[in-house]
Amino acid sequence: MPPSLPDFSNSVRLKYVKLGYQYLVNHILTLTLLPIMAAIFVEVLSMGPEGMLNLWRSLQFDLVQILCCSFLIIFIATFYFMSKPRSIFLVDYACFKPPITCRVPFATFMEHSRLILKDKPKSVEFQMRILERSGLGEETCLPPAIHYIPPTPNMEAARGEAELVIFSAMDSLFEKTGLKPKDIDILIVNCSLFSPTPSLSAMVINKYKLRSNIKSFNLSGMGCSAGLISIDLARDLLQVHPNSNAVIVSTEIITPNYYQGNERAMLLPNCLFRMGGAAILLTNRRSERRRAKYRLVHVVRTHKGADDKAFRCVFEEEDKEGKVGISLSKDLMAIAGEALKSNITTIGPLVLPASEQLLFLLTLIGRKIFNPKWKPYIPDFRQAFEHFCIHAGGRAVIDELQKNLQLSAEHVEASRMTLHRFGNTSSSSLWYELSYIEAKGRMKKGDRVWQIAFGSGFKCNSAVWKCNRTIKTPINGPWADCIDRYPVHIPEVVKL
Amino acid sequence: MVNTKVEEDRHVLVHGIRLSSVGPGRSTGSDVVHDLSGMDIAMKLHYVKGVYFFSSQAAQGLTLARIKESLFHLFCEYYYSSGRLRRTESGRPYIKCNDCGARFIEAQCDKTIHEWLQMKDSSVQKLLVSQQVIGPDLSFSPTTLIQVTHFKCGGISLGLSWAHVLGDALCASNFINKCGQIIASIGSINMQPNFHSSSGTSFKHQMSKIPAPPLSHEPLSVKQVDPVGDHWITANSCKMDTFSFHVTAAQLATLQSQISGQNQTEKMPIFESLCAIIWHSIAKVRRGSIHAEIVTICKNDPSAKLAINGIVTNAQIISTVKADFPITETDPKRLVNLLVNEAVDERRKIEELVEKDNGLSDFIVYGARLTFVDLEEVDLYGFELNGHKPEFVYYTVQGVGDEGAVFVLPAGPKGADEGRIVTITLPENQVPELKAELVKNGLGGHDLA
Repeated sequence: MPPSLPDFSNSVRLKYVKLGYQYLVNHILTLTLLPIMAAIFVEVLSMGPEGMLNLWRSLQFDLVQILCCSFLIIFIATFYFMSKPRSIFLVDYACFKPPITCRVPFATFMEHSRLILKDKPKSVEFQMRILERSGLGEETCLPPAIHYIPPTPNMEAARGEAELVIFSAMDSLFEKTGLKPKDIDILIVNCSLFSPTPSLSAMVINKYKLRSNIKSFNLSGMGCSAGLISIDLARDLLQVHPNSNAVIVSTEIITPNYYQGNERAMLLPNCLFRMGGAAILLTNRRSERRRAKYRLVHVVRTHKGADDKAFRCVFEEEDKEGKVGISLSKDLMAIAGEALKSNITTIGPLVLPASEQLLFLLTLIGRKIFNPKWKPYIPDFRQAFEHFCIHAGGRAVIDELQKNLQLSAEHVEASRMTLHRFGNTSSSSLWYELSYIEAKGRMKKGDRVWQIAFGSGFKCNSAVWKCNRTIKTPINGPWADCIDRYPVHIPEVVKL
Repeated sequence: MVNTKVEEDRHVLVHGIRLSSVGPGRSTGSDVVHDLSGMDIAMKLHYVKGVYFFSSQAAQGLTLARIKESLFHLFCEYYYSSGRLRRTESGRPYIKCNDCGARFIEAQCDKTIHEWLQMKDSSVQKLLVSQQVIGPDLSFSPTTLIQVTHFKCGGISLGLSWAHVLGDALCASNFINKCGQIIASIGSINMQPNFHSSSGTSFKHQMSKIPAPPLSHEPLSVKQVDPVGDHWITANSCKMDTFSFHVTAAQLATLQSQISGQNQTEKMPIFESLCAIIWHSIAKVRRGSIHAEIVTICKNDPSAKLAINGIVTNAQIISTVKADFPITETDPKRLVNLLVNEAVDERRKIEELVEKDNGLSDFIVYGARLTFVDLEEVDLYGFELNGHKPEFVYYTVQGVGDEGAVFVLPAGPKGADEGRIVTITLPENQVPELKAELVKNGLGGHDLA
């Protein structure tokens, strides 16, 4: 008998064992309840109708007792329903589709780079190597001011970009949801690196003539994970304010932050960050629960800022010539891995099925008590989620997470394709990824989505959504004209 | 000292230069290449320069953003002209269609269009169109450069620098005319989002269909120059000067009747008539040197199936005319007959010459011999903005060799102005005498005074 066959039958046997175990543990309550109910039923049958009547008469009922019991039940029920957190629904969201005039193919980026950095061929060489391996495609976009040789970033251009991105996304959102500007109760805008006065949220209020008693917030400086921080903030606010709509705008304005120097560690963001933005409508109104796309289940935030290395790994500073840029340290991946582990430890118990949690617990106990050399059990998150949206921070981030969470290529496809088509759009990339999954027609009712974002600080934030209704492939959206070309195979190194 | 002051003034004339790039709005696809024909490679050291002037009414409401947007749509079709040159392993150049784009230059001028066109100094036109040539870095040099200059009066000029390796002046003109059409449709409410034909298909060149000449000897219209490597411009042995003058319809009629002499029924072709007179004048200036006995004629090929969309190539007919007699003593009518009847099409020979070493050698065509280029049939005034035709269109070629070149352009839109604009590039020292000669022959008038 060939040696492969026992392995195969072994693995098949193992698979069935695992399936059986999972079914057993996940449905333990049902499995224990069924025999008990069956036993009671058999007992009742055996007693017969007279036995039942006797049992009934033997119970002594007092009016006061009945009243107290019923009041107690009503009281507990009311208390339960009142203290339950409100369900937060995501009605719809809109992603910004950049105009074709903003397109930057690789060749153009490299040629501009050579002209701007003509005295520093090594820096040009470095940028070319980064671009080749970046995982970006030929259709990513930069704002108009950055297309000039040399770029002309001034405040007016930055505001222009902000208006273009945010207003386009908002207009799109109004159209999709039928929302009226006067109905917005909460507005949260997050943009990490551009923070003018008046704020971007004030700019939105001014443009759309929003109400004077609107609760507006502007989050800046919080990095690429700020999108989920805004979601968390909106959720908390929607617990306090009944019957409200919250609009969240996540974007990153590239214009003022394009690094004009030639320090290598700081040239990296120039190669990866691209124009993008998203506007999201969240609500706690019960009337919207029919047409809402998703329901927010959990938001978990992890901050590793207490550790100095983590704090300094994404750092904005001036280089030797006084030019401001964001410097990325070499242990970024390691720190990201650590932050992820922290986040998983918190989110695991909330989302994993009982079978996985039990295994994890047993392995943990085993490692602590019996043998520390046992391999730590990595819970299978594919049991908990159908879709994964990993922030498209860069190819390395996606590779790292795919490895750590043992995800298949299809699970990370949304992230990779978003990185290819749109580049790293910072906090809005999660929404482009979600849009990709919808555009592919893969989102069904009941599907659970896990959005993971990393950001400077160092932070790792997660959000879990549950799909409320099967989503038909959208007619218009950022992927509408190109979804048929995807997924594309992205080579390891693109020849320029 | 005078020179530096003049140059300083020139710098101030056009200022506020900003550079950016415009390319195709859609990805052309990976590994798309455009092979260059022998003819293309023969023309590679020349650059077509066209300048279009528009009044303030034509330019009203036209923002740079709209021009750029229409160029992004245009390049979806003309993706060849937004690629970059590469060389095969054997050294033959080809175009890699990598969507790099054309260079877009924005500039300001403190004069009005009217004042500018009044300026006698033809060389200031160089400020309105980029003089950048291909190289020394072949793979990072744009083949197409577009400059938009804003004038004080609100008018604009659009300067196109089009590498001749892509195509001839007809192609360049079609390219710009299409741009005008797209600008017009972007303004309107219903806009077709896709202007491009199928992208990614490479154009297969066919060797000219004309029969092979009986004796294969070297073509006369082409001169091989010293290797220029990757810097595609040849140096002239003397300084060249360019000047232009307007020939009105009346002057043309007079000229034609003068040439045809007693036989008034014979209608002299305009282009050949002008060529004859100018050839005669130049021969006189050069005092009958042998170089004036052979000239090159470049005309559009009416049979070339040049699709208006996207396909660019060099299809003009290049022929030589040999006169076995001294030009200065010849009757212009005989010269006209010579030009019309005895032009020998050299395209096949040129291609064979280029293919002999697979496109490695460097040649010039314009200026290898005295060259006459007929652009009369080119729809220069077909580029419209806001429904208005240009005030004036000026075309010339950069990289003309020592023998000089003469370009005959329409002076205005067809039907509106039946005159001609003649632009002549010659060695500097021959220009004053030639101007005097032309005036004597009834051409130029106050333009050359």
